[in-house]
Amino acid sequence: MTTAPLYSLIAFLTGGLLTLMVLTNGTLAVYGTLLFSSWVPHVTGTVAALAILAVLKPKRAKPLRPPLWAYLAGVGGAFTVMLTSATVNTSLALSGTIALGLAGQVVFSLFADIRGLFGLPKKRPSARDLTALGMILSGALLLVLMGGSQ
Amino acid sequence: MIPFVLMAFTAGLLIGLSRQLNGRLSLSTSAMEASFWNHIVGAIFLTLAAFALGGLFEGDLENIPLWAYLGGPIGVIFIAASSWLITRIGAVSTTMLIIAGQMIFGILLDMIRGVPGDLTIRILGTALILGGMWLLHRPAKAAA
Repeated sequence: MTTAPLYSLIAFLTGGLLTLMVLTNGTLAVYGTLLFSSWVPHVTGTVAALAILAVLKPKRAKPLRPPLWAYLAGVGGAFTVMLTSATVNTSLALSGTIALGLAGQVVFSLFADIRGLFGLPKKRPSARDLTALGMILSGALLLVLMGGSQ
Repeated sequence: MIPFVLMAFTAGLLIGLSRQLNGRLSLSTSAMEASFWNHIVGAIFLTLAAFALGGLFEGDLENIPLWAYLGGPIGVIFIAASSWLITRIGAVSTTMLIIAGQMIFGILLDMIRGVPGDLTIRILGTALILGGMWLLHRPAKAAA
């Protein structure tokens, strides 16, 4: 399960977009409520996605309709905001919330790849993949919990 | 304390779940269409939540800098890209590389903005992340 450098670069830059979103949405939360800071990007994102779809008109990959549950990802994202906005105000604070969130993502991704969850291909992580995972996760936890920021 | 730990952990599980579902949707449609559905379904759900909980427009909303509204369009690209990636390199690689990018761009942004932090920790954390990335796409049959 090695990753081609081009995919790695794209995924790495995609993570950079998340940094920008933390900044923009975090700024919204300074002026408004946490609910507002998630509601705004979902609404403006819907408009932006419609505009991009209207211009690019991407072809549908398959004529078959996708299963209805595949449309429910947005509910998961919205619930995430509710959970984190609750925990950020406890003694976990932002760093604890992010650290546990990273752990949750890693556990889910391992389970998802090994079982091929929700119709995506099965992938068995190699020992090297797990070492890489351990290094990235420990580096991230170090920065979040001891870096004094983020 | 334990309920909050579980809640924060569950938030991470839900991020993974959403990414998996968006990836599945993009297999039948396109990455951009999956991103559209993710946003409109989330917007509807959060609007309903706002009606139930109230207080959506409380605060000092007139003084929000305009650039703070760019998170939505950036998020559209983010969801489309991660849906495209997860069907090609799998959930583990997608998740790890997104975390790596988020952390390293976060450090860069913090340093540009002059956010104080421990330099040793920053260097050590960055080195671990870059080392992990290097390991992740080393060819499988390469001589050790």
